Amino acid sequence: TSLSTSAASAADADELQSEQQARSLLREGFLRCLLSAANKKVQFHMYEKVKVEATFGACDIDVLNFQVSDLHTPIGVQKEALIRSQDVISFNFDI
Amino acid sequence: MQRGWPLLGPLRWFRYVNKKVKVKARKDEEVRGWLFTVDPVSASMVLVDFRENGGVLVQVVMGHAVEEVQVLQEADRRTADHLQTMFLPPRTCILEP
Repeated sequence: TSLSTSAASAADADELQSEQQARSLLREGFLRCLLSAANKKVQFHMYEKVKVEATFGACDIDVLNFQVSDLHTPIGVQKEALIRSQDVISFNFDI
Repeated sequence: MQRGWPLLGPLRWFRYVNKKVKVKARKDEEVRGWLFTVDPVSASMVLVDFRENGGVLVQVVMGHAVEEVQVLQEADRRTADHLQTMFLPPRTCILEP
């Protein structure tokens, strides 16, 4: 049984490695996408059909908040703002 | 793919990369485009749409809002290459010694 255990753990290690490889490729792509969004006009689609425009700054590592400038809200322009990602459905920009 | 997009994990997300997908996000949002990547941390999808005027629209759908993903088309070699080099920085120039 010790043999099958070690064979199983080798297979697990292989799978873990390919999973980690996929994870790093995917994350790298996402970070490059965020880099290209920086300083661009971004439109956020939020819940309750709210659409707002802002200049994209950055987001934190676990993608919980977006830092933006010149956020155009229905009641005026907010110079600097943080948008919670939980409130966002999608955002888009042109490159 | 129905519910549970954020739970699929890197290997299964990876199978959707370079495919044209239709994403249903919360109620009446529907987004189409080529899937460039999926953020493994937030499960957010980065979709790229090539416009007729040569422009490129990038749409990011937050992982928590994804309700349904449908594959429409596979990328041919040219589209796949184009997708994968889109966000790369411009070539750095080599300095002569």
